Amino acid sequence: MSVESPGATTVALPADAPILGPSLRRLRPIVLPLATAAGMLLFWQFAAALLRVPAVVLPTPAEIGSELWQELPALIGNAVPTTRDTLAAFFAATVLGVGLAVAISYSPLLRDTLYPNLVLLQLVPKVALAPLFVIWLGIGSSSRVAFAGFVSFFPVVIAAAVGFAGSEPAALRLCRSLTGSDWRCFVLVRFPFALPAIFSGMKVAMTMAVIGVVIGEFISSQAGLGFYILNAGARLNTAEVFAALVVLCALGVALYGLVALTERVVRRVYGRH
Amino acid sequence: MALLEESFKKRAPVSGRFGRSVLLPVGLAILVIVAWQVLCERMRIPPILLPSPSAVWRVLQSNYVILLGEAVPTAAESVLSFVIASALGVALAVSLTFSVWVREALFPNIVMFQLIPKIALAPLFIVWLGVGEKTSTVVAVFIALFPVVVSSATGLVSAKPETLQLCRSLAASEWQVFRMVRFPYAMPFIFAGMKVGVTMVMIGVVVGEFITVQKGLGYIIMFAAGAGETATVLAAIVLLCVIGLALYGVVELAERAVRHWYGGQMPVGGVI
Repeated sequence: MSVESPGATTVALPADAPILGPSLRRLRPIVLPLATAAGMLLFWQFAAALLRVPAVVLPTPAEIGSELWQELPALIGNAVPTTRDTLAAFFAATVLGVGLAVAISYSPLLRDTLYPNLVLLQLVPKVALAPLFVIWLGIGSSSRVAFAGFVSFFPVVIAAAVGFAGSEPAALRLCRSLTGSDWRCFVLVRFPFALPAIFSGMKVAMTMAVIGVVIGEFISSQAGLGFYILNAGARLNTAEVFAALVVLCALGVALYGLVALTERVVRRVYGRH
Repeated sequence: MALLEESFKKRAPVSGRFGRSVLLPVGLAILVIVAWQVLCERMRIPPILLPSPSAVWRVLQSNYVILLGEAVPTAAESVLSFVIASALGVALAVSLTFSVWVREALFPNIVMFQLIPKIALAPLFIVWLGVGEKTSTVVAVFIALFPVVVSSATGLVSAKPETLQLCRSLAASEWQVFRMVRFPYAMPFIFAGMKVGVTMVMIGVVVGEFITVQKGLGYIIMFAAGAGETATVLAAIVLLCVIGLALYGVVELAERAVRHWYGGQMPVGGVI
């Protein structure tokens, strides 16, 4: 099953080597990866300059930086439709996904009927349907939102359904024996127990929504970062492709961060389960 | 109510449960296909918008030579990129977990790479590698690699500390600990990563074929969609699903075989 989120496996790895001083050691998990990234960029810069790699094949980070600076207004202008479509698709997928998962968790019949089909659909390469969405909905942003929503819907349903099924039976029984109504049991027990799973599904959904929108923009669009990348690639302006990629990466990380931040806020509201 | 029914279900005979868990989903799938067929015929939906399942079946039947011919490169690319991504991913994860320094320097960067939409790099691979099969294979490897690395690395460091301490007190060598403890413990994580890898490989290969448009099922899909032959698009998608599910099934079988090999002692359900 591919419910595992790309980001959810960020397990804090144990640091067992007391090599540095205490203050430096605390900073090591932050400093070391940043230094590695900076080192790689420097290596890239010097290697590309020394080996005289043509800018079409691989521009240097400095060239990408200056391209990014020059094209920033155009890039931000193209990032707007991409962000809008991604958010729309993400919200649609989350609302529909959690809604369906609630329905599945309340009806065993519905669960037995739908769940295996959902898991199967999750495995199938849905990306191949992208051109069909263009036929159905045209080349406007609605086809991209629908496609990205469709792709990111499945991780949410499956993760949320797993989460609702995993609420502790003892807590549910207690809630019932205290004559809590179905609704109260849902709000007080099932939902809080399912939250971590729902959020891990939402995190996958956000990355899938970005991917879906970009693929949609590859296939049909007149604006957006995917369009910009394909266009710059066709003109063999590789530095411009990389500049757009930088913006896209920043967008992807920011949107993911938004979900992670919401998770923290919600968890605090529910008092950490 | 759900809880009550759940406890009833647990008491139901195994054969009845099996019938329910297989018949219901299959029944729904058949129902959807029948409804689709009836809807297409009754509402006279133009086949360019939504061809009926029987029309898709006719395309599969009459053009199977062409479709299967194009499915071969797609299947070959998928299998090749999956094998490369898995081998490379596990090897990278092993080298990551052998040194705390290497791990701390690289792991956060790799996790970061997980989050960014790598598919957007596909046009660059055309610049680097041209418009051949090589491009879709490399794109697929590139996007499938990261889930495998992250999941395997997480697994390789998740062995129980007590077990590791026991090994050390029995004077096991670093290699023995790896072979007998770390690797078996990591197996469920590695397979979980490989399963995500399968779906990512299919995405990568199809997108690669979308943008290079030379051969393969992705090419057929783009070509047929451009010509308004929606039935052909759906027929190609059916074949893609078959390839994807077959690859997934192989991984699932391999996981069962490995689990059997390790005598069912493997910790299960490590990753959720």
